[in-house]
Amino acid sequence: MIIDQTHSLFEDIVETIREPLLVLDSYLKVISASRSFYGVFKVKPEETVGQLIYDLGNKQWNIPKLRELLETILPQKTSFDNYEVEHDFATIGKRTMLLNARQIKRALGKERIILLAIEDITERKEIEAGLGKAHEELRALTTELKRAAQVKSEFLANMSHELRTPLNSINGFSEVLYDETFGPLNEKQRQYVNNVLTSGKHLLLLINQILDMAKVEAGKMKLALSSLSMKSLLNEITLLVEDMVGKKKIKMLLEIAENLPNIEADDLKVKEILYNLLSNAVKFTPEGGKIGMRVKKADSEIEIVIWDTGVGIASENMDKIFEGFFRVDTPYSRLTEGTGLGLPLSKKLVELHGGHLSVESEGLNRGTSVRFTLPILSRMVV
Amino acid sequence: MKKKALVVDDNANNLMLEKDLLDVAGFEVFVAEDATSAIVIARKEKPHIIILDVRLPDMRGSEVARILRQDKETRDIPIIFVTASVMAENRKELTGITNSGFIGKPINTRTFAKEISQFIN
Repeated sequence: MIIDQTHSLFEDIVETIREPLLVLDSYLKVISASRSFYGVFKVKPEETVGQLIYDLGNKQWNIPKLRELLETILPQKTSFDNYEVEHDFATIGKRTMLLNARQIKRALGKERIILLAIEDITERKEIEAGLGKAHEELRALTTELKRAAQVKSEFLANMSHELRTPLNSINGFSEVLYDETFGPLNEKQRQYVNNVLTSGKHLLLLINQILDMAKVEAGKMKLALSSLSMKSLLNEITLLVEDMVGKKKIKMLLEIAENLPNIEADDLKVKEILYNLLSNAVKFTPEGGKIGMRVKKADSEIEIVIWDTGVGIASENMDKIFEGFFRVDTPYSRLTEGTGLGLPLSKKLVELHGGHLSVESEGLNRGTSVRFTLPILSRMVV
Repeated sequence: MKKKALVVDDNANNLMLEKDLLDVAGFEVFVAEDATSAIVIARKEKPHIIILDVRLPDMRGSEVARILRQDKETRDIPIIFVTASVMAENRKELTGITNSGFIGKPINTRTFAKEISQFIN
């Protein structure tokens, strides 16, 4: 009676175990098997219980390594752990199994039984092999990417050098001519040489902005942070812009809050952002229009809005304006004005400070407003 | 007496531009298009200042500077590197050269001679 109860408890435990488990008697005949054993190895209980383990599934289990484990190692050590055995089964194909066994005495009686846990690790091994391969591929890819980044960086440095060398002559000689250092020019000559100089300077600005974009994208743009007085910085910039505004007969409205704190930012970069955005506003606003700037503190940030009543942006072009070299077609902007990189570069410089930049326009000829934030304390990712 | 300046650049146009700007500013200007002749002229004329390109056909400007710094006669001549290699990684080779300055190309023709003069005691 007691034996029977033990027996059924035993069966219950074996039944419950998730992994394939065989209970063998000392003659290596199957006493019991877990449900998952039948599931995984596609055998039926009636072909299993009472059979010699090697005879299971048409002698598919006659595995030399298993024989060695059960007949040589187990009698000596009464247990073995994590033996990996590979076997090609006729019904389920090639499997890799992890074997664990314990030889134990049954509660009552001298009879010994063997618990043999068989974990099918075929898929795990495949995944591990796949991971290993993926890891190798990733490593090769990383090396290749690093090399490509190096090549790109050298290319840019060379490009910068090769373009600046002729520009030194173009800008230098035309500047000396325009200044009439070696004698006077007539009006036409002065105008022509000034056109050469303006175009040369435009080209230089382009080169510098392209290099800056590349630097930001490569994560190589470093900010020189210091404590900036927003008030004096804004004054300085508006003085620069007032000149452009006056020439074009447009009005500039400034709404700058009184309580602006100092911010931690890169002086030159912030000036560059403001200058780019304000000169865009002037450029794309016809005579008689208005531009403006609103600056206020908003929580832990400074919020700056630069708006204009100019040509605006058609909704279908909203995504293109950050791509670089996109310029709104307009009768008010001449081809030589702007590089098409000012806005995308400004956005990147704002983001480098940990701020955000967004552009709104109600459509063509309905003005544009650019809103950006700069954190009071830098959130720069170091 | 006129101050002597030696201008070294392998690009003939840029060499002429820098020479003319210094001429106008009242320098006596010597020119060289490569490093070797630059070193020869520097030793012979002992200029008050050397304006030196970095990429020269026969050696780097930094190498020229090192040679001039080893010679007692030319050791103290200020050297201004005028180069189109303005990126940070290019400027590393110029750090640590005593009594030297840096001007990136394109140069500002309106301030060039003034900037150069500031390096002469």
